[in-house]
Amino acid sequence: MTDTARTGPDRTAIGVVGEAGTGIGGPGPGIGEAGPGIGEPGPGELPEHLAAVAAAPSVQRWMHRSGDDVAGARLADLEMLQRFCASLGTDPDELIAQCLRSTKSGDTAISAAGRRKTDQAISAFVAAEGASGRDAIVLGNKLRGFLIHNGIFMQGSAAID
Amino acid sequence: MEFNRVVGTRRSIRFFKSWRPVEREKLQVMFEAANRASRSMNADYFRAIVVNRDDLDAETRDALRNPTTTADLDLAPTYIFWYIDMNYVEGAQDRLKALVDQHALSAAHGWSRAYVDDFLWPQVLEPISKDMSAVLFMGAVETGIAICNAINAAVDQGLGTCMHAFTANETVKSLLGVPDSWFPVWLQLVGYPAEEPEAGGQRPRNPISTLFFEGHTDHPFEEDPEVTERLKREGMLQTPGPFPYRAQEVKMLSRMYGLPE
Repeated sequence: MTDTARTGPDRTAIGVVGEAGTGIGGPGPGIGEAGPGIGEPGPGELPEHLAAVAAAPSVQRWMHRSGDDVAGARLADLEMLQRFCASLGTDPDELIAQCLRSTKSGDTAISAAGRRKTDQAISAFVAAEGASGRDAIVLGNKLRGFLIHNGIFMQGSAAID
Repeated sequence: MEFNRVVGTRRSIRFFKSWRPVEREKLQVMFEAANRASRSMNADYFRAIVVNRDDLDAETRDALRNPTTTADLDLAPTYIFWYIDMNYVEGAQDRLKALVDQHALSAAHGWSRAYVDDFLWPQVLEPISKDMSAVLFMGAVETGIAICNAINAAVDQGLGTCMHAFTANETVKSLLGVPDSWFPVWLQLVGYPAEEPEAGGQRPRNPISTLFFEGHTDHPFEEDPEVTERLKREGMLQTPGPFPYRAQEVKMLSRMYGLPE
């Protein structure tokens, strides 16, 4: 499925998450699989606690990134982002805003301090989640991916061991 | 590898085989190439410190990281910290006279020991050495030329490399014993490419006619199609990116290393 297909005019934020019938993963109840209920977009298909997160413009942008992940993976990403934001008492758009600042000329720039603070918060969240090794790196970099696709240049560790 | 193919194959490589170290002999070739680079005053403009990632303890490696330079440091097995030695003018008087003595600089072009001692040094070079903007400008240009040689030597030996901004200068300075007179220029990461050496295809460039001129800026330097075809055969001009599978290549590499997609 192409990005164009994901961003069609009738697609809601939730629709972006739920890809239409890719056939990847096969039916199943797990979050990680693209089964019925995730495959067709619709406002009622996301768990309630994720609906607001999915509707945030910053999350829309993240989900519209290029790629062909199965729907279940996107849902898992949403779950993780929701937990991360909840741990900080913020929401996705505010999280992005905290990494930005206004310049004297009125432009918007990346806040080095905000980015550093957020990067540290990601590391702390990953540790609190109990992830270690490669899992910790992947988890942290998923969250960094949300920031990256909203224009916040940053890097996390690579899994090389 | 032939020269034209080296130039044409160079890419900024960002995915390295993290597990494969760079042979010391290949680093030596890079450094000799840099040391052979063109340089005014025959001055040593640059200094460089090579560090193998795996020789650093975890604490030191962590100290080098920041939110914008972390994955690169993990993936590349070898780091080269490049500096301008801001004292490069020192000794220029003697070096230039040595070039006069070996007829590299000769009377045919107006050079003499007397010119160096009586005019060039007191009226030009010594004043320049006290003008930090001039020192920095010349140092940056000449160090860049040397780095270019090192880059091409790396490519010629099958290595990948990419230049990165210094983002932890004070940390590096302390860790590696960098003198105050060294001004940071680039961090060069070196390793064997995990991506294809073509890295998705040759990068877009504007035609040379937009950059080069003959005789006057009204007269663009137009390419000769026959020369262009020869350069394609010889590898300086290669298939432009992105290759059809480039996005997938990046995705697979990202997943292998657990990086953001």
